[in-house]
Amino acid sequence: MRDVAVLGVGMHPWGKFADRSVTQMCRVATEAALQDAGIEWREVEAVAAASSRFSGGKGWGLNGNDVVEDMGSTGIPVYNLSAGCAAGGNAFNIGWTLVASGAHDCVLVVGGEKMPKGFIQTSGLEEETDPEHLRQLCVGMPGPAFWAALCRRRMQDFGTSHEDLARIAVKAHQIGKHNTNARFRQEFSIEDVLNSAMVSYPLHLYEICPVSDGAAAVLICSADIARKRTTRPVWVASSSVATARFDDGLPRGLGTVVPQTGPTCHSEASIAVGNALEKAGVAPTELDLVELQDNTVFYELAFPEDWGLCQPGEAERLVEKGETLPTGKLPINPSGGFLCFGEATTAMGVFQICELTWQLREQAGPRQVPGAKIGLGQTLGLGGNATAAVLKN
Amino acid sequence: MTMHERIPVTEGLFAETAAGPRLLGSRCRTCSTPYFPRSLSCHNPECGESQMEDADFGPRGSLWSCAIQNYPPPLPARYEEPYTPYAVGVVDLDEGLRVVARMSVDDLDSLQLDAEVELTIEPIYRDEDGREVTTWKFKPLQSTAK
Repeated sequence: MRDVAVLGVGMHPWGKFADRSVTQMCRVATEAALQDAGIEWREVEAVAAASSRFSGGKGWGLNGNDVVEDMGSTGIPVYNLSAGCAAGGNAFNIGWTLVASGAHDCVLVVGGEKMPKGFIQTSGLEEETDPEHLRQLCVGMPGPAFWAALCRRRMQDFGTSHEDLARIAVKAHQIGKHNTNARFRQEFSIEDVLNSAMVSYPLHLYEICPVSDGAAAVLICSADIARKRTTRPVWVASSSVATARFDDGLPRGLGTVVPQTGPTCHSEASIAVGNALEKAGVAPTELDLVELQDNTVFYELAFPEDWGLCQPGEAERLVEKGETLPTGKLPINPSGGFLCFGEATTAMGVFQICELTWQLREQAGPRQVPGAKIGLGQTLGLGGNATAAVLKN
Repeated sequence: MTMHERIPVTEGLFAETAAGPRLLGSRCRTCSTPYFPRSLSCHNPECGESQMEDADFGPRGSLWSCAIQNYPPPLPARYEEPYTPYAVGVVDLDEGLRVVARMSVDDLDSLQLDAEVELTIEPIYRDEDGREVTTWKFKPLQSTAK
């Protein structure tokens, strides 16, 4: 496999944009990425796009085709990738594969999403053969209740307090307020978080991510092109995709087996991250920053432990001591994360690559992780999908 | 007072049997992996040969975790107005099956993890024809109050 570089990144700010289509938002992100890379649209050899669940794509998830039509129909191949909320990460993996394999030298990866208002339905089907549909029909356990149940188990096992949970949201907004692309840029106190509406006990409104509109784009290329176009390339050390193991105990659908060995966890994320670190030759402790999928504050406690970035039961104290801030030992989500951006579901994997790139170039301003050299991004999606990527400067 | 007619929220997932309420699933004869709902094939990658047979599960288990649905859930979940929060649970059945369920409990704050629970079939709402629509729930075996 060849070395692959991130040459340019671009983002449309996250928020609610009633008067703008997802394709218009993708154009803003794409033009910014091309400009950042110093690449003309006509030089792009292929597009790997996240298939949007809720917007554009002719209702078939053909969002990459929308982008190509909009930017100029040059006849290039388009790959539309669907992986639930991991679609952006999946598109990045395919884009990386296209360049690493030598099939193309210059590929655009793009993800955009416009979300419906309010709490979303997890299943897109109304069929009684679909376990996710049955789960909502028979039990009524949407995403936040699922996260709340995982979180409550942790509270029982490790004594996690409500303040421990709230502190993570406080931290997110402490950093996210500096990010001009973030949707929510105000600071909160622990009391503010604990006084926000209870969505699903024990999780409050400010402890879960809302849904947003957003778009992000990344231009990746071969080492030859990167060396010609920039003196400071950011390298893709690895990119991986995984699906869930059969016996990880995570209560997806209506039921699963009680795990015989090992903890209950999102095995898809652990496998994707483990493979990405191994392929990059990077030890968990060598990571300078992590952009992880914080749909809920709970994941910011569980994931670093699941992946060996810290010891089981240690995460609460790391947060309390400020170690997950950009200036700490284990900076997590210096972008402000999903908590400050809101989730534009299928765009999030590309959003993470943008933030990692800005951090590794030391262009992140007040949220900069000092001396950042190695960063990890991770997404998670319905169907037991996960992706991970390690970037290096 | 007349009994209200009862209908299950969906067919084929649970039943009142002579032995009491049961969840209707399946099990692989080769590797003993339990499934709920019924599965056409065994998903265990270590299993040599998928041989599925119908199996009933329940009634006893322990509460692995739970949560409260504080806001009205989106469709296809249904509820009666005015909305009253309910508890959902993740229950480890004695047969090695982990299932999600509604919890049958008056005081939502009284639920304790690792408590012994028992399967029950109870209404969740009344439909437009006045029929009680039922689903499977779990109830703590003894009161955890005091």
